[in-house]
Amino acid sequence: MIKLGNLDFQLSSGFSLEIGALNVREGEVLSIIGPNGAGKTTLLNIFALLQEIRTGSLEIMGRDAREPANKISLRRAMSYVFSRPYLADDTVANNVALPLKFRGLRDAGRTAEMLELFKITGLRDRNANQLSQGERHRVSLARAFVTRPRLVLLDEPFSSLDARVRETIICDLRKIIRAAGTTVLLVTQDQGEALALADTLAVMKAGRLLQRAGPAEIFARPASKDVADFVGVETILPGTVTKNEDNLCSVEAGGKTLEVIADCAPGDGVYVCVRPEHVSVSRTPEAGSMRNHLSAKIVSVEPWGLEYKAGLDCGFSLMAAVTKQSVDALGLKPGLEVFASFKATAAHLIKR
Amino acid sequence: MNFIFEGLQKGCSLIGSGDAEIYSVVKLSLSVSFFATAASVLIGVPLGSLIAVKKFPLKKLVISLVNTGMGLPPVVVGLLVMLFLSRSGPMGFLGWLYTPAGMALAQIIIATPVIAGLSLSAMQSLDPKFYLQMLTLGASSTQALLACLKEIRLSILAAVIAGFGSVISEVGAVMIVGGNIRHQTRVLTTSIVMETHMGNFDTAIALGLILLGLTFLINLALTFIQQQKARTQ
Repeated sequence: MIKLGNLDFQLSSGFSLEIGALNVREGEVLSIIGPNGAGKTTLLNIFALLQEIRTGSLEIMGRDAREPANKISLRRAMSYVFSRPYLADDTVANNVALPLKFRGLRDAGRTAEMLELFKITGLRDRNANQLSQGERHRVSLARAFVTRPRLVLLDEPFSSLDARVRETIICDLRKIIRAAGTTVLLVTQDQGEALALADTLAVMKAGRLLQRAGPAEIFARPASKDVADFVGVETILPGTVTKNEDNLCSVEAGGKTLEVIADCAPGDGVYVCVRPEHVSVSRTPEAGSMRNHLSAKIVSVEPWGLEYKAGLDCGFSLMAAVTKQSVDALGLKPGLEVFASFKATAAHLIKR
Repeated sequence: MNFIFEGLQKGCSLIGSGDAEIYSVVKLSLSVSFFATAASVLIGVPLGSLIAVKKFPLKKLVISLVNTGMGLPPVVVGLLVMLFLSRSGPMGFLGWLYTPAGMALAQIIIATPVIAGLSLSAMQSLDPKFYLQMLTLGASSTQALLACLKEIRLSILAAVIAGFGSVISEVGAVMIVGGNIRHQTRVLTTSIVMETHMGNFDTAIALGLILLGLTFLINLALTFIQQQKARTQ
């Protein structure tokens, strides 16, 4: 569907976007995630043909997207949903039908179908300016899908919605995308949104594509310290591999010896990455399959969504996710001496 | 003070008398002003909108020129148009000097920057992403521009009102280019100047009242349309 190669794009602000290759296959839902200023929206604007590129190649739907003659026909085969819904000062039905009007088509049936699909039939005669934010987003999405686009570009389309509305819209959108087999590129900073919709993730930072893989791979095996940092790995320790016996590596890190399953050679400089949810906290040393047991002192216990996050001092800083039940049962509080454990398979090594 | 009241009284009776000459002056004033406004809208609105949405070198300089054009002195415009339309001028072959066509040309030059400048400013008040959003929905550049104009239609109507106001009340340029020739190029404003110079204050006041009345009625109609649209938003 999309083949981007050797992109070297510069904005007048001096920001540069450099991507060696990025291909998106037909029907794939790819989420581009990354912090602010990573270049995600600029990349989406390039795919939407709103930014012209001078170097590199871009093929969309098998056609050269750099060719000016292809611009309008390619744009008419795709849709772009901005983070803020830009609706015309007109009725909901006319807004949804607008892309059809631009193509010289009149298809009241299709418009009605979209209104139904996005649950806004009751609003069809209301002026778009009289809608709530959630309703405006639904109209914007219905408008994007009314022409049966082969490619849909979504730029943080749910960022201004409250959690409940966001969840409902994402749930509906997932069904619609899957049913239509539409290729979707979703730009977001919200990992929850990305995981809810995407087949694959691409992590960007400072105009570079850092890693592109399935969600499980990115979250469990980040390719670099930056990716690990962005996907919520809070413990990232510099260390050195001292031993490797059948891929069970011993790593000296933070003044401790940790055991990690990895393919590294003794002497390799690495970062040891441990996710908070992989660390277990107990009052006595845990027996079982966990190979890493560390005595620690609790530094902090803070709410973390529906759970709690405990900051531990094990000679290095280690974060652990604990349930409310555990906090109460173990009496976890700052200053308490505990044991922190994690499996050799739970930690991940990134070569420095 | 008496002569003012007498002038008003005589003026009112003159309006009521159905004087043919006055009606021909009114008719010419309206036709020249309507034509000039319509032409200025056709040129000024797309021009201002394109300047607003397109990126090009020296854009700020062009915007400054348009803004300067909004304050063009009508007498200078009249002088330049007269020079261009005079027999020895570059546009002398048109034979428009001392004709309603020449007067309309001068008025177009006065009103176009006003309408372009106000359209430009109205378009710039619209989020530029609206235009981009229309493009991404499959609109051609023209369709996207028209969609934007629809969004700012109330401001465009205000620009039309301002443009019409600038031409219906203009005297310097039409006096120079038209020459205030009876039954040919005499309009309300030039008639008022002439009658005032001749000491016919009653006629001047009558013409002044007609001009004010017409301007009020036309602006009332345009404002009514504008406010109706504003209420539906």
